[in-house]
Amino acid sequence: MTPLMSSLACVMALAQAFFLWRGKMHILKEGLLLFGFFCISCVFTLLVGSPDDPQIEHYPLRMLALCLCFSTTSLPRYRRRYLVMAQAFWLWVELFGGIALAYRGIEFAWARSLAIFLLCCCSTLLSRISKEMEFCLMVFWIAIWILF
Amino acid sequence: MVRILFIVFLCLLAPGLVSMGYSLWQGPAAWSVDSGVFWGMPISLFVFWIGLAHAGTLISAIFLVLDVKMERRTSILAELATLCALVVAVIFPLMHLGVIQNFYMVAPYMESRGSMANVCSPLVWDFCCILAYGLLSVVYLVVHVLADKSAVAASIHRPLAWLLFPMVLWVHTIVSLDFAATFVPAWRGAFFPIYFIVGAVFSGLAMVNIMLCAEGYRMRQLEKLMLVGSWFLGAFLLWDFALKGNLSVTVLVFAVLLPQLMFVSAVRESTLGRVLISSSIIVGLLLERVFLVFPSGVMGFGWVDLGLICFGFGLFGVIFLVARLKLSRVIEGEEVLMGEVEETVPKRPATGRFSYFAPLTTPEFRMLRFPLLLGIIACTLFLVWVVGCLEENGIAFSDANLVPLTCPIITTVAGIVLCLRPLVMHIGKVGGAVMVALAALLGVLAGMVYGGVTSVPSGAVVSSTGDMLDVGTLPDSTSTLDSVAIIRTKAVFEARCAGCHGADGRLNEKFVREYYPVPQNLDVSRMDALGEDSLVNVILNGRTNMNPYAGRISPQMARGLVRYMRLLAETPAVDNAATQNEGGDE
Repeated sequence: MTPLMSSLACVMALAQAFFLWRGKMHILKEGLLLFGFFCISCVFTLLVGSPDDPQIEHYPLRMLALCLCFSTTSLPRYRRRYLVMAQAFWLWVELFGGIALAYRGIEFAWARSLAIFLLCCCSTLLSRISKEMEFCLMVFWIAIWILF
Repeated sequence: MVRILFIVFLCLLAPGLVSMGYSLWQGPAAWSVDSGVFWGMPISLFVFWIGLAHAGTLISAIFLVLDVKMERRTSILAELATLCALVVAVIFPLMHLGVIQNFYMVAPYMESRGSMANVCSPLVWDFCCILAYGLLSVVYLVVHVLADKSAVAASIHRPLAWLLFPMVLWVHTIVSLDFAATFVPAWRGAFFPIYFIVGAVFSGLAMVNIMLCAEGYRMRQLEKLMLVGSWFLGAFLLWDFALKGNLSVTVLVFAVLLPQLMFVSAVRESTLGRVLISSSIIVGLLLERVFLVFPSGVMGFGWVDLGLICFGFGLFGVIFLVARLKLSRVIEGEEVLMGEVEETVPKRPATGRFSYFAPLTTPEFRMLRFPLLLGIIACTLFLVWVVGCLEENGIAFSDANLVPLTCPIITTVAGIVLCLRPLVMHIGKVGGAVMVALAALLGVLAGMVYGGVTSVPSGAVVSSTGDMLDVGTLPDSTSTLDSVAIIRTKAVFEARCAGCHGADGRLNEKFVREYYPVPQNLDVSRMDALGEDSLVNVILNGRTNMNPYAGRISPQMARGLVRYMRLLAETPAVDNAATQNEGGDE
């Protein structure tokens, strides 16, 4: 996937995150939104990714994980907990997707996984999360997405 | 009602036992096997039941750590169902192994008994994960049952849930890698880990819902979660279809479309409707597992396969009902909400619902930090040992191969320390030291027994059909194979040995990935060191996971095979990679 399309995927994840956890939480509403975002991510991946590239297999899940990370900044409560959990989900997708791909000869993206892991660990040390810290976190996530 | 259900499950179990007995007697030839991948019904059932074995504890642990209120009776029922499903699940991979008596070889006990545990194989990861998960699930259920009477149990209930939360997800992720790490094109999927988790949780929710209906309870949140699960499963099925063109309409109908009937209030409000929808999900997920394991199509599905399915359901039902009756007093006791259990923990302030804790100060973290530290130390030491063993024996591996072993080791050690700690504090430091010393001693003894027992041939799996294959005359041990003998030996080698040792004698890579011990790499120096007579003896009488061939091939043919392998070992390995890749891509 080209860097431009990868950046576009990041913007899409950011845009999708805007709609999550708004107002009173209902399982069906949030589930439907996540399902919709996942489907959109799948269609996006199919359109812009090369069918011969095995790395597109878990690309929609990576987009969903990034979207969840972004969305935690708008949570009213338990932000640190869900922040860590969203990043853990992203790490999960990267780690095990990477292991499955590594068995097919594709190099494991250690830098990306380590960066997410470190950010996840550091997030557990966050106290009350200010607006500035939210911005910093989003910059870190975007940097991991784009650079690694 | 319970009696009727018990009789129904017994009726399922009885023919199931016949089928199971026949399968154990006959071996893998008894059940239907995919002609392309050599996996069959036991693996389908293993994946199905291990999926069901996740939801109960997962729901219970996740709801507890996320402060979601759930009735205690519901969560205990779910945990009980988890354990029963786990018991059923572990039977099937043992059947699949063929050498059932050597099941312990999957333990990553590196160089014991003359073979090297293959830590790069997902089957070894499976063993570690399921063992750790089973152990922690039992402890979790016991702690949960005791939590309303014992302050000590209540204090470790929530930290234990935090430990179990990642572990349960880890297990099914590793099960997915059994497939994703193979050469089979239909199983290639970096999205498999999450896809499997979604399928497992979804089927587990349906199982718990059926149980709640049988008990006369109802949990609306669970029904909503089932609906969300069906959407995501549908999305994954369509994604799989978009990538590889595989789509099972039957699965789509049973597991995705029919559950949407929950939007119809008449169906949703009726117990029968909820049971039917949940059963449809279970059937859909079972079919999904079967179709997954049989990428070439299900052929030769017979009474044994049907019997194995009956066996699974029958055994699960019987165990569950017996355990349910034994625990009826606990389950039907006073209504204690799970979320309220943590309020008995003295350190956690009960002032308001949304208490704020500074980083690294939550009561759970305070209780878990020491056990986790010990777990990380134990895991690091183990990995250093494994890496040393692998490098010493010249076995290729990647660091990514070792990652899956980390969570079960850390979680098991942390869980044991977490549970022992209050006990040790209760009985005093001296008593605690004695207990730790005893545990260490037991561990050392177990290790000595395990590592010291002599290797036993893997059983007399000897065919009684056909004449013994002979290579011809090999007058003495120094004579070489002539061209005719080479052709005959090559044919036998490719028919009987190449499946594991590879057509080029340098191991079948698919086999090495999937099988649990690392097979011996017989290069020239190794073969010369072992000696021809010793290798002939291994072929005829077997050794650990190598089946004995006495009775099927003659001693002369065994000697011919050894010499043929030596010929292969002498051949330069330049074209081997290409040969293996060609074989692998088929």
